[in-house]
Amino acid sequence: MHIPDGIVPVQVCAAGYAVTGLITWYSLRQISKQGNPAPQIPKASLLTAAFFVGSAIAIPIPPTTVHLILNGLLGVVLGYFAFPAILIGLFLQSLMLGHGGLITLGLNAAMMGIPALLSYHIFQLRHRLGRNATTPFGIGAFAFLGGFVGLALAALIFLGLVITTIPANFNVDAERTAVFTLMLAHIPLAILEGGFTAMLAVFLQRVKPELLTGK
Amino acid sequence: MALASFETYIGGRSHLHSWTPRLKLVSLGLLMFAFAAVKHLQLVIPMLGITAILYGLSGLPLSFLRRRLRYPGLFILAVVLVLPFGSGETILAQLGPFALRQEGLMMMVLVVSRFLSILTLGFVLLGTTPFLTLLRALRSLGLPTVLADMTLLTYRYLFETADMLSTMQKSMHLRGFGHRKRWLRLEGKTLLQLSGLLGTLLIRSYERSERIYKAMQLRGYGQLKQAQLVAKQPADSTSLLLTGLSAFVATGFVIAEITLSLSIR
Repeated sequence: MHIPDGIVPVQVCAAGYAVTGLITWYSLRQISKQGNPAPQIPKASLLTAAFFVGSAIAIPIPPTTVHLILNGLLGVVLGYFAFPAILIGLFLQSLMLGHGGLITLGLNAAMMGIPALLSYHIFQLRHRLGRNATTPFGIGAFAFLGGFVGLALAALIFLGLVITTIPANFNVDAERTAVFTLMLAHIPLAILEGGFTAMLAVFLQRVKPELLTGK
Repeated sequence: MALASFETYIGGRSHLHSWTPRLKLVSLGLLMFAFAAVKHLQLVIPMLGITAILYGLSGLPLSFLRRRLRYPGLFILAVVLVLPFGSGETILAQLGPFALRQEGLMMMVLVVSRFLSILTLGFVLLGTTPFLTLLRALRSLGLPTVLADMTLLTYRYLFETADMLSTMQKSMHLRGFGHRKRWLRLEGKTLLQLSGLLGTLLIRSYERSERIYKAMQLRGYGQLKQAQLVAKQPADSTSLLLTGLSAFVATGFVIAEITLSLSIR
């Protein structure tokens, strides 16, 4: 779900950079409000590396495998560090694997990062459960929502961009069918992403609860 | 995970290698954006020509470009191959149920050319600038400290984290994970085990980061003022000339694009 260079109009790429710049500034401001960010930097960096590497874990659905995006999970675990982490991850991915591109970096970061921040806020809503906030059900349910919304929203933004930037003279029926098929294909993937995020959050709560933002 | 090919820098003595990094970053960035704005086929040949000249000037071997383009090239082909058959009205040839359309074919040529040019310029930048120098250039252009430090640390520990994951996966397989396959079925137990795998990787990384921070603190991390860290390298005349030429070419492309758009209306 990366937008490569050369496909979308340059104005959209520039707008992507503008949005990413704004959200990065906002995220860094929120991070500095939480106190000295220095102790958090190595933590966020190593977790970024782990997420980057972890996104290569293949989930077997024989005869094929799928890879998770993990943007919702990034939001759940890293909080406001999720946006810079996604920006860095995508930058390294475009250099290393040729995924995405340098011109579309802003666009891809906004597409993955905004849902990640939303997932973080959804996961924080669990505190409203009071005592139940730290039960496996409370953690799992909100982490599922975070993971599900993270991927579903990213897919919606992706499809929105595809629809608005597709060539004007493209066959309308073919376009509608392709977009509809893509939307349907992302529903089970979002459920899978949500389920995986829930399982992982419950695991972390059991083994290393301080890893979950807001405890 | 194929991370071994990350270091893209290839040493050399070309003018592009000695181009002041921050000026090179800005100039090639401008050119990439100008190329992304190309919408008319008339500009495709000059765009590819300038890309080829810059690649030639960089002295990078063709095998480097071929190797780097292989994966993203296949991806873009998969994306644009549908265009000649789904976009446009002028039918050039009928291949069974598929009609090859002129407008779609032109669009495909445009997209692939833009993609090749932008990507090649990206490789010129990475091939002639070591990653750490590139990061320093970004820092001197105003990249926030938090982002610069995070990028550097992520880069530093990426390979070791990949090795750690690979070892953990080998251990899982040796203990019997993944030996039984049920077609078109995802087992909850498998998902649970994989979530445990990623969870363990996160915990190990987290614990390691605490040790790293202590070591960094002992070496004075966070004590220096940022102004002391970002010393700007002065630009030589060749760098200034290359930057001026790049800005001129990028502006030329934008003006040509606007002129062509207005003349068609």
